[in-house]
Amino acid sequence: MHLKHQNFYHRVADWGLYMQESSKESESPDSNGNGTLRGRFDRRTFLGAAATTGAAALAGCTGGGDDGGDSGGDSGGDSGGDSGGDSGGDDTDTTESSGGKQGGTLQWGGAVPVQGLDPHIDTSAASKRVLENIYEEVVKLQDDYSIKPHLAKSFEQSDDNTLLTFELREGVTFHNGKEMTSEDVLATYERVQNGDYLATGFFEFVEELRAPDEYTFEIQLTEPFAPFLAKMATAELSVMPAENAAKDMVETPIGTGPYKFESREIETSFTMVRNEDYWGASDEDGPFIDTIVKSEIPDPSVRLQSFLAGEYDFINGIAPKDVSRVEQAPDVRFEKQFPKSLVYLGMNCDVAPFDNKDARLALDYAIDKEKVAEAALYGTGQTTASPAAPGSPWVNPDVEPRPRDLEKAQEHLDAAGMSDGYTATFKIPQSYPTQVQAAEVIAADAAEVGINLEIQQITWSTWLSDVYSKRDFQATTSSYLALWYPDVSFYKFLHPDGAFFFTNWTNDEYNSLVEEARTIYDENERAELYHQATQILHDERAGHMFLWWQPSLYGAASQYKGNIGAPDGSTLQFDDNWLDR
Amino acid sequence: MATEQEANESQPLISQSQRERMARFVRKFRSNTKAMLGFSIVVMLVLVAIFAPLIAPYSIEETNIEDRSQAPSVEHPFGTDDLGRDIFSRVVMGSRISLYVGFGAISGALAVGAIIGVVAGYAGGLTDEILMRVMDAAMAFPPVLLALTLLVVLGPELSNVIIALAFVYTPYIARVSRSAALAERNEAYVEAAIARGESDSRIVFSEVFPNCTAPMLVQGSLNISFAILAEASLSFLGLGAQPPKPSWGLMINTGRGFMETAPWMLIFPALAIGIAVVGFNMLGDGLRDVLDPKVEAIE
Repeated sequence: MHLKHQNFYHRVADWGLYMQESSKESESPDSNGNGTLRGRFDRRTFLGAAATTGAAALAGCTGGGDDGGDSGGDSGGDSGGDSGGDSGGDDTDTTESSGGKQGGTLQWGGAVPVQGLDPHIDTSAASKRVLENIYEEVVKLQDDYSIKPHLAKSFEQSDDNTLLTFELREGVTFHNGKEMTSEDVLATYERVQNGDYLATGFFEFVEELRAPDEYTFEIQLTEPFAPFLAKMATAELSVMPAENAAKDMVETPIGTGPYKFESREIETSFTMVRNEDYWGASDEDGPFIDTIVKSEIPDPSVRLQSFLAGEYDFINGIAPKDVSRVEQAPDVRFEKQFPKSLVYLGMNCDVAPFDNKDARLALDYAIDKEKVAEAALYGTGQTTASPAAPGSPWVNPDVEPRPRDLEKAQEHLDAAGMSDGYTATFKIPQSYPTQVQAAEVIAADAAEVGINLEIQQITWSTWLSDVYSKRDFQATTSSYLALWYPDVSFYKFLHPDGAFFFTNWTNDEYNSLVEEARTIYDENERAELYHQATQILHDERAGHMFLWWQPSLYGAASQYKGNIGAPDGSTLQFDDNWLDR
Repeated sequence: MATEQEANESQPLISQSQRERMARFVRKFRSNTKAMLGFSIVVMLVLVAIFAPLIAPYSIEETNIEDRSQAPSVEHPFGTDDLGRDIFSRVVMGSRISLYVGFGAISGALAVGAIIGVVAGYAGGLTDEILMRVMDAAMAFPPVLLALTLLVVLGPELSNVIIALAFVYTPYIARVSRSAALAERNEAYVEAAIARGESDSRIVFSEVFPNCTAPMLVQGSLNISFAILAEASLSFLGLGAQPPKPSWGLMINTGRGFMETAPWMLIFPALAIGIAVVGFNMLGDGLRDVLDPKVEAIE
C-alpha cells in the first residue's frame, strides 16, 4: 500500500500540471434533456463499449481530469478464454491506417510530464502513454475490450478456469537484443507476486507460476478469479527481461514493444525511436514513425497556442473550453476518445453530515447534474449513475442520475433532522479547473435548499494526503481513469478492501455481490450482479456520487495519420500512426 | 468658516494651536492634487463597497450556463464569466473583499506594530534591540511568501488572510513608529513629563504616541494598497478567498484560462485592483507630502 502512495505521488505532478478547463460555449444541443447524451458521441468514441464482452473500459484510479494516473485497474477478460466475445467491433479510430509512410519525427506536445519508468510501479497516465509503446504484455486489450493473446501465440484455460496456459511467440526480442523466453515472463510475474507492486494483490489466488519449457508459461489459480486475465493485459504486468525483473525499480525501460526508449530530460522531454527489430512489424501496421519526441508543456494555453502555431504535430489534454477553437482551426484534426475518466463528488460517510443517508440524498436531489457537466465540459461529457463504462453490459439501464427536485431534497433534509440544511467543507483539487467550475455550480445549487458547501481549493498533494490518505474531509471531487474492466469500477474504490477505497461507505450486501462477481466468468450472470450492485449504490446513496464521464481530447496536424489513442482510453499507441509529409 | 466654528463649539477642549494645525492640514491637503485624487478614489471605493448590494444588478453566485462568456453589452457592462455570472456585479461586490482585507489587515498591523515601535523607540537599549531584531527577522521574508506560508498552516480562508497579512505588515509599521518615537523622545515635552514624574507607560501612550501618528498614517495607507495587492495574489494562488467569492484575484485566476476567448474576465478585475492600489498609494504619498515638516520647509 505504501508503494501505492508513492505512485500517487508520481501522479501529483500529473495533476498539478495537467489542467483541463473549460471555456467553450454551450453549444451542444444535448444538455437539455435529462438522460444521457449518448447519442451524441460518435461511435468510435464509444468503442465497442456497447456490445462487448467483458471488459469494459478504463482502468481506474483516482485521477482526475485528464491525466491522472490510473493506476490501473484490474482488467480483465472475463470469460475464460478470451474474454468473451468480441463483439462490437467498431472501434477503431477514424483514419484507416494501412500502408503508412515510413519515417519522420513526430513532435508531440504533452500535457503531463512522464513520471516513473517502471510500469509495475508507476500509476501515472503520463508514464503509461509512453510505456505503452515500449512494453508489451502476454495478452492485449483490443478495441472492443476483448483480450487477445499478444506476446503469446495462443492460450488455453482449463474447464474449471483455474489453469491458464500460454504458448509464447518465438523470435520476440527485447530492445537489448535478447530473445524473450518463458523465463523472462516467469521472472516478470514472480517479481510482482513476491514484491510490493501495483498488481501484487491480484496474486492472492495464484497458487503457482510455471515455465515448463522455453515457450510455455502456466498460471495455476486456487479458485476462479475473473479479473486476473484482464490484469495481465495492463502495464502492471508488462513483460521485462529477467535481469530487469530482478531489480526493485527499473529506471531504463527495456521491453519488446514497437518503440525503444532513447532519452529523457525530466520535466522537459522524452524521446523514443522505432524498434527496427520489432517482431510484429509490417507494412500494414507499422511502426512507421522513426522518432517520437514528447515535449512536456504542462500549461494548457501555452500548449494549445504552440500547437496552433504549428510547433507540434500532436497534442493531448485539450481543455474542454478550448474544443471549439481546435475544431475551427484550419488543417487540424480534432479527436476525442470516450470515455476516459469518471468524475465524482465524494462524501465522507463516517462523519456528519454525510454519515446520514438522508443528508446525502438531499444533496443528490439538490444538484442539477446535467447543468454541472455542461458548465465544466462544454458538452463533451455525459452524466452517469453507474461506475461502469458507458455502453458496457455492466451498466444497469434502469438506474439514472436523480433529477433535480428541491421538494424531495427538503423532504430528505427533514428526515435527516436538518430541516434548515447543513454546512460542509468541499475540498477541490485546484489543478483541475473543470472540477472547480463544477464545484461552484454544485455549491450554488445546494445553497438553494440550505446546504452550504464551503469550497476550499487544495493542491493535489494535499488532496492525496488529507482527503485520500487521512480521509479528513466532508465532501470533495476527484476522478478515476481507465475503468475498462468492471472489477475496477465496482471493487477498487467502492469495496472496503479496494486499493482506492476512501469514502467510508460500506454495505454488506454490496460487498458480497462484487466479491461474487469476481469469481464468475459468464457475462450475463456477472452483469446481473453488477446491476444489483449499482442499484444498491444508488438507493443507499453511496459515498461516490458520480458526476460525469469525460473523453480524452486530442489535436493533431492534418498530416498526422492513423488512429489516435489506445483501447483503454487514457493511453496512446503510436505503432499504426504515420506522418504524411 | 462655518465648519471651523462647529468644530469649535462641539469640541471646546481643543486648543487654539491644535485647531490651527488641523485647519492648516486641511488646507494643504486640499491644495495637494495627489492627495485629493487619492482621497477621492478611496472615498469612491468605500462608497461602492458600502452600497455594493444596491449597485450590483445581478446575483453574484447564481450561475447561468446559457449566458456564459458573453462579451460586454448593455445588460452586462463587463460581460459574463465562464459560469454566466455578471462580472460587473462581481467586481462591485469584490470591492468589499479587497477593502475588508486591506483595512482589516492594516488595522491589525497598526495596532500591534505601532505599540511595538513606539515602545522600542522610547525605551531604547536592550528592549529596542530585541523588539527590532525580531521585526527585522520577520521583514527578511518577502511579504507574499511569508503570508503564503502562514496560510498553508492556517488554512485558506479570508479571515486567515487578514491575520496573515496583519502579521506580515506589522514590522513595517513598527519600524516607522520606532523612528518617529526616537525623534520625539528627546523633545522638551518628554523631558518635562519625566521631570513631572509621570510613569513611563503614561509618557509613551499619552505624550509620545499621539505625536507619532502622522508617519503611521502615511505608512498605513501605503500598506493598505500592498495588502490589497497581496490579497489578490494570494487568492490568485488559491490560498485566499475561495470560490464562489468574487475576490478580484480569484477572478483573475479564473480569467487567465480564458485570455484568448473572453479577455473581459481578466481585464475588469485587474483594472479594479489597479485603481484601488493607485488610489491608496496616491493618498499615502499625498499624506506624506502634507504631513512631512521637511517638505513644508522646502515650500
